[in-house]
Amino acid sequence: GSRGGRGGFGGGRKVLVEPHRHEGVFICRGKEDALVTKNMVVGESVYGEKRMSVEEGETKIEYRAWNPFRSKLAAAILGGVDQIHIKPGAKVMYLGAASGTTVSHVSDIVGPEGLVYAVEFSHRSGRDLLNVAKKRTNIIPIIEDARHPHKYRMLVGMVDVIFADVAQPDQTRIVALNAHNFLKNGGHFVISIKANCIDSTAAPEAVFAAEVKKMSSENMKPQEQLTLEPYERDHAVVVGIYRPPPKQKK
Amino acid sequence: NMVLLHVLFEHASGYALFAVKEVEEIGMLLPQVEECVLSLSKFNSMVSLAAFFPFKSAQGALENMNAISEGLVHADLKLFLDTNVPRPGKKKPVVGVSDAKIGAALQEEFGMSIQTGGVVVEILRGIRLHFHALVKGLTAVAASKAQLGLGHSYSRAKVKFNVNRADNMII
Repeated sequence: GSRGGRGGFGGGRKVLVEPHRHEGVFICRGKEDALVTKNMVVGESVYGEKRMSVEEGETKIEYRAWNPFRSKLAAAILGGVDQIHIKPGAKVMYLGAASGTTVSHVSDIVGPEGLVYAVEFSHRSGRDLLNVAKKRTNIIPIIEDARHPHKYRMLVGMVDVIFADVAQPDQTRIVALNAHNFLKNGGHFVISIKANCIDSTAAPEAVFAAEVKKMSSENMKPQEQLTLEPYERDHAVVVGIYRPPPKQKK
Repeated sequence: NMVLLHVLFEHASGYALFAVKEVEEIGMLLPQVEECVLSLSKFNSMVSLAAFFPFKSAQGALENMNAISEGLVHADLKLFLDTNVPRPGKKKPVVGVSDAKIGAALQEEFGMSIQTGGVVVEILRGIRLHFHALVKGLTAVAASKAQLGLGHSYSRAKVKFNVNRADNMII
């Protein structure tokens, strides 16, 4: 975070920030519209992203640009996903946290009342993730293998949402293992699927359909599926509910 | 002849042992647990805290977490269970644990009857949901602060002691 001064949106022109349909996400109206989140750590960028501040009465609020080419969650939001379930106050488990770029935006969205359990196995990315978590106290960093949730069970409470971007052939199983341990009844999952990480020979649509079927056998009920075009190729995001409440008999 | 099931719950703030309502057979518990897990008051009538061992320092918490993550029984855990699990008498003590590996280690160490999976998983989900309310003096904020501190120290050590610096699988 070495950038100082005001963000560069619209070349110093006044920016207008409006709430997005998804609570905790905002749109910055400038020369070009941009997706933004409210910066938890004012004055600092996480990965060189632009910042812009808006005066609301006496107080200044700072926002950070959220690039859909660098974040599948941002791509899903701009692609019109109906629900992300990640909102202020939510407890989120983030599998495949990588260096913490998208995690930092999730941290902005859930805010000081929320929590992000950020799981990442790569030690190289983990170092960056630890640095992001140092400044954002709603991120609990977990450098461990998401295939073995019992290894980090002491660190995690029950969560409202599991977000997964693990790019592993058995990722649905990985999400299910974590859901059985940590996801509330009626909690939600948001899974990013890269078709050729699972099967590089099959058609992407067939891969997505097979993954959706696996979810159903794990008490994970898919509710929505969308592709991430034009931001990512052959990617889909699947959103659904875990252990849906039984339908009320009339 | 009733079964007295205790369940071990490991948390960043310490070890907790919960006593589950006595039943004739463990199989009878599942529907009852499923029915009451979402309501704290109902859950509390089935599952109650028997003992709690708070970790006394960040170092103590880290050592215990390192042991738990490898399925090993730390001296603190041994002492905790030795002190608090009832001796076999008229009732048969059974201890539910979340990890089969630590279950096997405990079975060998104490000769306890160990239960994993099935209803134990559901009870542990309920404990995880209500934990801060089941342990006197603990709050939701204090419980997550303990997770935050231990998450940092555990993860920092993982990254630091990766001697060859080669990357593990990208996940």
